[in-house]
Amino acid sequence: MTTAVKQQAGTSVVTTPSDREIRIERIFDAPRELVWRANTEPKLVAQWWGRGNQLDVERLDVTKGGRWRYVEHHGGQSDGFEGRFAEVVRPERIVQTFEWDGMPGYPCRNTAILEDLGDGRTRLVETSLFFTKEERDGMLQSGMEQGMNQSFVELDKLLARIK
Amino acid sequence: MVHYSTRLDTAFGAISDPTRRGILERLGRADASIGDLASAFDMTLTGMKKHVTVLEDAKLVTTRKVGRVRLCSLGPRRMDDETAWIARYQRMVEERMSRLDAVLEREKMKGDQR
Repeated sequence: MTTAVKQQAGTSVVTTPSDREIRIERIFDAPRELVWRANTEPKLVAQWWGRGNQLDVERLDVTKGGRWRYVEHHGGQSDGFEGRFAEVVRPERIVQTFEWDGMPGYPCRNTAILEDLGDGRTRLVETSLFFTKEERDGMLQSGMEQGMNQSFVELDKLLARIK
Repeated sequence: MVHYSTRLDTAFGAISDPTRRGILERLGRADASIGDLASAFDMTLTGMKKHVTVLEDAKLVTTRKVGRVRLCSLGPRRMDDETAWIARYQRMVEERMSRLDAVLEREKMKGDQR
């Protein structure tokens, strides 16, 4: 494909390249160094990772072997997420494990690649690799659960697509 | 239109309950009898029958009699469809990423002021 069509910033594209993977692609209208900082500095991570919920960044040691732990608070409940860094190549590549407190012992491995698009924008490609297809599908389904609070209009669209 | 929103209410009601979502998830892996489901969810047969009826009304589950047991499978309106999951997951990711956009925007402004 040529670069004639400028890929738009601002929409995540989620695909499943294999039975055990989830791939997210997203373009940010910001330089790579800044996207890196927003992903690795606790103060900045706390401002977006919780999707509007309060987030405590309990630990974020961005070095090979270092650990991270975030706790998200919503409606009197809290959800913990944690993992360990396997590769850290500033400002272009981070490999880390991701594990939810609700499913201990079932981590997936996330590889995030930040590409400098040369025009002040950055492309993020994050691939999550699961041990089994079932574990991956469980994660996708949790996304479905997250959507349960959405409007009837959204449900209508979903049902129209899958019936 | 009235008929249409009733259908929607039924489906929404059906999947708003965590047990029923659990039943759909389980039936996504394999068909099961009402008895299997009742013991899997630690419920009485009667209680499970009620849940299955709600799912059946919403066309999320179909049942058929096999010998003496009633076997449940995912219905014509399948909730285990991968594209549907991906669409939901994408929304969740986007909720996060749009906030990251905002953080990046703020940080860029700070950088400009320096």
